[in-house]
Amino acid sequence: MQKMSPLTRTLGICFLFLLPAPIFIVFVASFNGSAYIQFPPESYSFRWYVEALTDARWARAVGTSLWIAAVTASLVTVISFLAAYFTLRYAPRINTALELAIFSPLFFPHACMGVATVALMANFGIVGTPWAIILAHMMVVIPFSYRPIHIALRSVDPDLIRAAEVMGASELRALKDIILPMCRSGILTSLLFSGIISFDEVTVTMFLIGPDVTTLTVQIFTFIQDDASPVLAAISTISVVLTFIAIILLERVAGLSFFVQRSGS
Amino acid sequence: MNVHLSSTIQTSDGADGSIDVNAVSKSYGSVEVLSSVNLAIAAGTFVTLLGPSGCGKTTLLRLIAGFIEPTQGHIQINGVDVSGVPTQKRPIGMVFQNLALFPHFSVAENIAYGLKIKKVAADEIDRRVARFIGLVGLDGMGDRRISQLSGGQKQRVALARSLVLEPSILLLDEPLSALDMQLRRQLQIALKDIQRKLKTTFVFVTHDQEEATILSDTVVVMGDGKVQQVGTPQDIYSNPNNLFVSKFIGELNEIKGRVTASGRDLTLETEVGPLTLPASAAQGFTPRAGDEVVVCLRPEHLHVAAPDAPANGSVALAGQITDCLVSGPLTHMGIQTGRTILSSVMMTQAGNAALPSASPCKVLFDPAHARVFAPLSDRLAKAFGEQP
Amino acid sequence: MNSGERVTFGKFLMLLPMLILLAMFFTSVVTLFSNAFVERGGFSFKYFQQIIDRPDYHVVFYRTVLSSILVAILAVLFSYPIALLLWRANTWRNMLLIVVLVPWLVSLVVRTYGWIIILGPKGFINAFLGWLGVIETPLKLMFNDIGIIIGLTHVLVPFAVISILSSLLSIEENLEEASRVLGASSLETFRRVVFPLSLPGVFTALMVLYLGSVGAIVTPLLLGGITEKFVGTQIHSEVMSSFNMSKAAAWSLCLLALSFVSLVIIKLIERRALRGQE
Ligand SMILES: Nc1ncnc2c1ncn2[C@@H]1O[C@H](COP(=O)(O)OP(=O)(O)OP(=O)(O)O)[C@@H](O)[C@H]1O
Ligand SMILES: [Mg+2]
Repeated sequence: MQKMSPLTRTLGICFLFLLPAPIFIVFVASFNGSAYIQFPPESYSFRWYVEALTDARWARAVGTSLWIAAVTASLVTVISFLAAYFTLRYAPRINTALELAIFSPLFFPHACMGVATVALMANFGIVGTPWAIILAHMMVVIPFSYRPIHIALRSVDPDLIRAAEVMGASELRALKDIILPMCRSGILTSLLFSGIISFDEVTVTMFLIGPDVTTLTVQIFTFIQDDASPVLAAISTISVVLTFIAIILLERVAGLSFFVQRSGS
Repeated sequence: MNVHLSSTIQTSDGADGSIDVNAVSKSYGSVEVLSSVNLAIAAGTFVTLLGPSGCGKTTLLRLIAGFIEPTQGHIQINGVDVSGVPTQKRPIGMVFQNLALFPHFSVAENIAYGLKIKKVAADEIDRRVARFIGLVGLDGMGDRRISQLSGGQKQRVALARSLVLEPSILLLDEPLSALDMQLRRQLQIALKDIQRKLKTTFVFVTHDQEEATILSDTVVVMGDGKVQQVGTPQDIYSNPNNLFVSKFIGELNEIKGRVTASGRDLTLETEVGPLTLPASAAQGFTPRAGDEVVVCLRPEHLHVAAPDAPANGSVALAGQITDCLVSGPLTHMGIQTGRTILSSVMMTQAGNAALPSASPCKVLFDPAHARVFAPLSDRLAKAFGEQP
Repeated sequence: MNSGERVTFGKFLMLLPMLILLAMFFTSVVTLFSNAFVERGGFSFKYFQQIIDRPDYHVVFYRTVLSSILVAILAVLFSYPIALLLWRANTWRNMLLIVVLVPWLVSLVVRTYGWIIILGPKGFINAFLGWLGVIETPLKLMFNDIGIIIGLTHVLVPFAVISILSSLLSIEENLEEASRVLGASSLETFRRVVFPLSLPGVFTALMVLYLGSVGAIVTPLLLGGITEKFVGTQIHSEVMSSFNMSKAAAWSLCLLALSFVSLVIIKLIERRALRGQE
């Protein structure tokens, strides 16, 4: 470790470990033995996990969230890949404009995104269906998917695909054999990152749920408002564990350096 | 480097391997990179594109390969117009300047890739890959990763990868530029050898005129998006079309001057004093009195002699030796003549070994060796980095 | 990659899905306008007028903007030492980065729920202080501005850490060394070299944090309750309880306009701060 004043280091360490503190508290509270939330708990039990896992509503919400995240992440990754490839190879001149458009959702407050998407989905007549949620999530995560893919593609020597084409490969084949394997970590980052964001999204999603379809996080949100049963702590812990697994997976397969990389080319 | 070539390798008998570039122009926006290029390349020849940086060599290769389409004109390969034919369907191979080897494949996988695409049977692929690994002298390295190879070895993989598909035409964009002198020589010989045996048409881009001279059947000198001259290396050296070509190939003495009278003889007022040359010295244009011209003389055509030596029909100029360098069989001399310094190369003789500096002398040349050209246009001058 | 390659319609199809997605996004923004200005088939300025006229609505906007400014500044202050720590921790950086990334990516519902357990009337802090005998009646830490500000700050710190850390990591190592070699103390080096060069990250963080806070719904709703309204919670109740899309759209547009103005102001401040750094 390089030199750093002890005061700053102490502050840094304290603040750093404050970040996961509320999550840790939820985790501990989920093993609460009594009928209402207590911290620290007076007795410990697994009863809330049993309740969470046996209640069909929660199982369904987890299932819905997972498949919506999977579909969103896959679609958005394919779309980003094709767009980034096309722009870099055939239309570098539109790159700046395209990036501006792709990153513009970042500059929209989430509340506005929520109302805007619900208004649009209402026009399509699909509010309350999983497709409304998937479309909305795609709009929310597109910048997070495009960036890692664009960075990965940009670093591939463009002559590689031409070399494959000279050897007789169709463009599709060359993409599959050459470009895809070389952009592997960018693509995996896009998949996992956008999957995580979709899985944990609430603000926009809560406008779009219906009687038949709700996601895990929105359901937790609704339940917090209604009653504060400790089962929520158990469910929340489950969602944290799923997110955590995805982050560790991301660290394993692609590394985390992407997150702290400046975007400048 | 050993080059083994079994007789089973097919030569491009059926596909003849000729290229015709007809009045091809290529513009990016308003910038014309190539302007009406005409070029006929016969099957089985080794053609070198030579020219300063930015003159459009790579662009011409990319047009032939089909990565880009001409703005005007068309290209024929094997006598067939290939406009609109995608790269994959053209009977060509290409070695890229940066090699473009697939870093996630091994050496053998790189070489096998094109064969896999062509759906050649697996055992046949193995056989051919092994043969070409041998051909380029990489025996035993088939399983290596690309990152484990030296520059020269990578170069050979790139060659083998293109050659294994037996294209009738191979495009090579400065494939040897990244190598040191010795390796370069080695690979040049290997290249020429392979080309002769396979009878593949090679279109080879280089900056190195010596390389071009050694390797090629035909040299194409390009400048400012145009073909300046096409010919054998010897032809281009001895009979350049214009000042650009003669400057670009070989050493050159340039004497600036002005035409004072033209007729059967050309009378000039130059930096080295008045000159009279036969009218045939001006090729490709007819100089008129008052025209600015440049008189070109190769150093080996200048003879330095004692001030009192007889002229014997040569043109004689009085001068002063500025420096004299003997390197083995050759003697290089600089001679201050008029307002310029001429350089001369002669066989080293007993008499001229280390002539003292500043001693007066006489420069002699056969007027038949002198060439008179119009000065470079501003755009061509820029290609040499000269201030117009 | 190089331009000038042949683009056929077939190849253009690769860009099409992205264009459709972006078109949908921009259509949704247009829908916001059509909802806000149209009522019963005619043009209407009603809800905008309402926002202009009603003082209680002004309070909501003031509260949202002022809290968000405070939250953005607090979050940057908290995140700076963390970013410095991670920057210095070469070998441990990946591990520590996970400690930042997990809270960032875990759903904000869960994080806010954690704060409810901590700040609630029977929550951790009140229970602890009661046990110490410091207080008799529980402190009101939730259902007011304090709760909202604590919650939002905590929710937004991880992003600020990442943004500032990216800036710090792009500082060339020898720049700092050079400054030390020239005799600057470490504090001086920080003030003159490290801090100025981290400013782009700080400003990115300020912008994103401010936007995140201004557009928040979940945290203000859960920690602020229904009395302490935020623009986001007002919008939420218009859509979910009053089913008044026009009003929600009008509020959203005001929020949007407000955000853009704020972004421009932050950008201007950034330009001033970074002047002479090029
Ligand atoms: N995609 C493009 N857009 C605009 N101009 C281009 C493009 N590609 C090449 N050019 C221009 O065309 C000219 C010729 O380029 P080209 O690459 O063919 O030169 P070259 O002869 O291969 O040079 P070098 O010897 O340096 O490789 C250059 O001036 C270059 O700037
Ligand atoms: Mg080139």
